[in-house]
Amino acid sequence: MTAATTRSASPPAPPAGRSLRAVGWHLRHNPKRELWVAWWAMVVFYQFFGVIFFIVTRTQPPPNPALDVASRVQWFHDNHDGLLIGFAIIFIVLGMTAPINALIAYSMRRMSVSPAFGYAYLVMYSLSAIPGMLLLCIVLTVGAYRPDRSPELISWLYDFAFLSFVGTMGVFLIGSLVWMTAILIDTNRVLPKWFGYLNLCNALTEVVVSPAWIFDRGVFAWNGLIAWWINMVVFAIYTGAFIVLLKQMIQREDFGTGPLPDLESRRHSDESTASTEAR
Amino acid sequence: MTQIKDSARHTRVVPGQPDMWAFVLFEALIFTGYFSVYLFNRAQRPDDFLPYQASLDLRIGVLNTVVLLLSSWSIARCVEAARAGDYRKASLKAGLTALFGVVFFVIKASEWVHYTAQGNGVTSNEFFNYYFFLTGIHCLHLLIGFVVLAVVIYQLRSPLRRSQQLIETGATYWHTVDFLWVLIFALLYVVR
Repeated sequence: MTAATTRSASPPAPPAGRSLRAVGWHLRHNPKRELWVAWWAMVVFYQFFGVIFFIVTRTQPPPNPALDVASRVQWFHDNHDGLLIGFAIIFIVLGMTAPINALIAYSMRRMSVSPAFGYAYLVMYSLSAIPGMLLLCIVLTVGAYRPDRSPELISWLYDFAFLSFVGTMGVFLIGSLVWMTAILIDTNRVLPKWFGYLNLCNALTEVVVSPAWIFDRGVFAWNGLIAWWINMVVFAIYTGAFIVLLKQMIQREDFGTGPLPDLESRRHSDESTASTEAR
Repeated sequence: MTQIKDSARHTRVVPGQPDMWAFVLFEALIFTGYFSVYLFNRAQRPDDFLPYQASLDLRIGVLNTVVLLLSSWSIARCVEAARAGDYRKASLKAGLTALFGVVFFVIKASEWVHYTAQGNGVTSNEFFNYYFFLTGIHCLHLLIGFVVLAVVIYQLRSPLRRSQQLIETGATYWHTVDFLWVLIFALLYVVR
């Protein structure tokens, strides 16, 4: 996990255009190829996440926590195929979360802060994915595969799955605070300070999820307006922001150790503004 | 002419980091969401709210508000002193701000204990669900504010640091804590 890499031999110039030859050149010689693979893994994973959780398995928005035992068994019956197909796909693509976390940790390694930030984030987010996502997938798959079990057990699986998924969002909190701290004390301008503060907003909304453990109806339940909907809006904005910012970070990456240069477009824009004003 | 334009371009539009103002805006939007949900449900089911809201002690709310407004005044004086180069006075004012913050927290915690002992706990009724949620999440902002004040005091203590921008950024955060409390106070204690 070394951000600054010495590139001794300079590769041949890339072929012009978007031909297969150009793609081949980038796959063999582009020094940022691993970073781009990680970034695309992030984009593809979140597409899968959205489609499978919101459409295929219909686990997001979460169903009503106040359902009685019979309705919970019926819920498993109604979503049987979606749960099995959707989560089978999630089990296959789950590995994509590793390059996502690695790219975020890389952003911290490129900063002027201690490597401990990147390592801490990596460990925390890897562990958080277990209660924060994986348990829901496993538990609901078990429920869908064993419809003949006692309704009380099925009902327990329903509670366990959604409380684990929604109720443990707080496990991501410390990771967000680690990223925030790294961004705020960084002097290499890897990510903007406003995004550091957005991490704090995201961490605070993850605390707001905790009443879902207590309430099974109303705005604080696991499908409530405050505990779920407002948080999901904040999380979507936060995720969209870091996808764009990490893309810009890769574009700006110079494999050095000092401040990251500005994007070409921004530099040109600043120069043209300066020249216009000079006239 | 170019010099004038350049200096105008670099003139600060807001005190502290503009990034902190993005945070203020975003937090204000999130709290607007919470307040809207509260007001909507209150309008839908006034019987679940109004009788319980009547048991809130307005005097404690006013006291909390006065203490937090005093803390905002104190942090404003801290910024003023830092701008004038009087860093010792600025440190004292930042410490005074923290002290007002502690007083606020103690009053708030004792208020929580008092209402819970009265039978109005976190899960007792819908009004107190919101009361504990809104005051709780606000107190979390206050606790983060203590970390922010620690950063401000750390900045002020050594001539090697003393970033005026960071001091003003910290003050902006503290004012946000105050601003959010004034809205919560108005909604929970005053509007009946």
